[in-house]
Amino acid sequence: MTEQNLTITPELKDAVVNLLFQLADDDFFYSYRGSEWLGLAPHIEEDVASSSISQDSMGHAAMFYQLLEEIGIGNADALAHLRPANERRNSILVERPNGEGYYMEVPKYDWAYAVVRNYFYTAAKKIKIDSLKNSSYEPLAKVAIKVNMELYYHLLHWKTWFVQLLSSTGEAKQRMQAAIEQVMKDFADVFSFGTDGEKFIASGLIEKEDVLIQRWKQHLEPVFQSIGLTVPEIPVNGERNGRNFEHTEDLVSAIETLSEVYRIDTAATW
Amino acid sequence: MIIENILAINITIKYNNVKYTLYEKGGINVSTLEKDFTEQEELEKFVARIEAGDKIEADDWMPEEYRVALIKLISQHGISEIMGALPEKEWVPKAPSLRRKLGIMAKVQDEMGHGQLLLRVAEDLLKPYGKDRGDLMQDLFNGDLKFHNVFHMATNTWADAGMIGWLVDGAAIITQTNMLGASYGPYARALHRICAEEVFHAQHGEAIIMALAEGTEEQKQMIQESLNDWWEALLMFFGPASSTTTGTSKQDVTIKYKIRTSTNEELRQSFFSKYIPRILSLGLTIPDPTLHFDEEQQLWVYQQPDWNKFKQIIRNNGPRSQARLNLRRVSYETNAWVLDALSAAVN
Amino acid sequence: MEQKKTFYQEFEVFSKRTPSSPFQHQFSLLAPNAEMAMVMAQENFMRRDPVADIWVVNREHIRGLTKEEKVTLQRLDNKDYRTTKGYGYLKKKWRHYEQQMLDEKEILSWAGGNKND
Repeated sequence: MTEQNLTITPELKDAVVNLLFQLADDDFFYSYRGSEWLGLAPHIEEDVASSSISQDSMGHAAMFYQLLEEIGIGNADALAHLRPANERRNSILVERPNGEGYYMEVPKYDWAYAVVRNYFYTAAKKIKIDSLKNSSYEPLAKVAIKVNMELYYHLLHWKTWFVQLLSSTGEAKQRMQAAIEQVMKDFADVFSFGTDGEKFIASGLIEKEDVLIQRWKQHLEPVFQSIGLTVPEIPVNGERNGRNFEHTEDLVSAIETLSEVYRIDTAATW
Repeated sequence: MIIENILAINITIKYNNVKYTLYEKGGINVSTLEKDFTEQEELEKFVARIEAGDKIEADDWMPEEYRVALIKLISQHGISEIMGALPEKEWVPKAPSLRRKLGIMAKVQDEMGHGQLLLRVAEDLLKPYGKDRGDLMQDLFNGDLKFHNVFHMATNTWADAGMIGWLVDGAAIITQTNMLGASYGPYARALHRICAEEVFHAQHGEAIIMALAEGTEEQKQMIQESLNDWWEALLMFFGPASSTTTGTSKQDVTIKYKIRTSTNEELRQSFFSKYIPRILSLGLTIPDPTLHFDEEQQLWVYQQPDWNKFKQIIRNNGPRSQARLNLRRVSYETNAWVLDALSAAVN
Repeated sequence: MEQKKTFYQEFEVFSKRTPSSPFQHQFSLLAPNAEMAMVMAQENFMRRDPVADIWVVNREHIRGLTKEEKVTLQRLDNKDYRTTKGYGYLKKKWRHYEQQMLDEKEILSWAGGNKND
């Protein structure tokens, strides 16, 4: 893949690498949080089904890390496991815990939060992936086409839970509304590209943030209307922008856990 | 002629021990030619079917003893898969590569899937008692429904994750393949699905262990320690050889009704024959210096595990019994609102 | 009268491997309604199989046979007037006329069209 490097300017390469890290880290932690639910979902058949979504998403992250490896940034496993929190570019939405407690002890995970986070994140991912299908960076466009194929099921799955819970009991509606509020607090950086984002657009890697945000709203509009709600506003400035390496303690401990075995010997084959 | 039931449109008559159902409309119509067999006759027919290798299906006549034995076996099997997912999932976040994370996710998914298949089979058997999955979960929480002893053990290292995939699943494959010809059709069919997926599990476990066995000194030491830690649990996996060891044994009933063909000890011996050569071939040492194959007896001779530990485990006092039950209970209670929210009225 | 409510309704899952395959039965799952059942179906039973289509059917909507009714399925084995077994004697006759027997294997081989048509 070194042929690719010859036609890219260092500036374009930086932009591509930055964007790829955002996409890879997003899906990696989304899948990580999803996998903490294994064995703990409210219903066995749902546990099985949503596990496929976590696997698909880790598979997507692996494809993005693989693109980075092909550009020469490093080994995919090392990029996934070793980079500390202050080098990560994921949205803070995906690093937030699933609820109270650590999965190894007595976690009290919140299913309403899981459904809302998963649905809103997947809808955002769909919008981005659709735009990336036309990316000027061809390897990324090709990966986007593949990722897109699996998003149909992810969207159907989470939309179904979202609509059904919001159309059910008073308690469920309350919990879901609270979850929507909580998710939106961390949504500001989902569509942000960070401080160097302009370069992504200028190079034709992806479309403008506000164009994508509009499409996200349009995508969700009919679903919200069908249950008598309006699509929530994305806050303009979040507490932190994960795209600019601003993260939480939650991410620090997540990375500690996920790299625990890998760090025993980073040169070893596992 | 004795008129037994008079309903609006049909009358059931018993005459000479033969039941006839008559329909009022269109005159008398003999519409059932089936004799109403006595309990004893049904049992004799049933035993003949089992002997002939017939499959019994969910709505067939079956003696209570058979139904109860199946419910106990299959609900325990199913709930063990669900509980067994918990030690394994501990390693999903920690798995040391993207591929290993994916592999374990898929394996844990399969375990939950196996639990789903088996619980469905058990649930259908429970219908006459009006019990459903919710009742099974309550039985689990109050200690009436036990889960397999092996899943009460702690997992401490990555090698343990590999060991489970390799030898625990290996042991499970031996017990499960033994029941592929089970007399109860739905269970046999579920086991066929399960055993097909177990092949991937075996290979996944082997892949982890192989990488460690061919790796650094530290990695090799990790598997040896894991084998040392798990050896006793692996011996106990197959259950006691006879009821004199621990006071109970289900194997007689399940063999009598052709649900399984081999005894606990036969299965354990089979495990030794298949796995000891492989374990040794990787340069590992079995933590039982007395273990050897006796040519004369054609049997593996070995040191018995401490069956007192087994008794503790089956009382839910194993190393991780309460922690895992608690995890499941808290999760169930925390999510109860979801089941409540989507419950719908049924007839 | 208060109706019983449950999350656990039984759904039978059917699927087609390819668009032109017939539907085949897979297994049953519990779900609160048909939409949920559909969203669970593929990942529960067909994650390693090709799937072109899926049906989920609430068990309540399946009209099966009771134990008593199953006897109505019995038939006598005296109907070779309607099977090829009843006409096997023709093979010898055609051989007498030096002609091949048009049996099932031969006739079904005409499916793709014949060179001499």
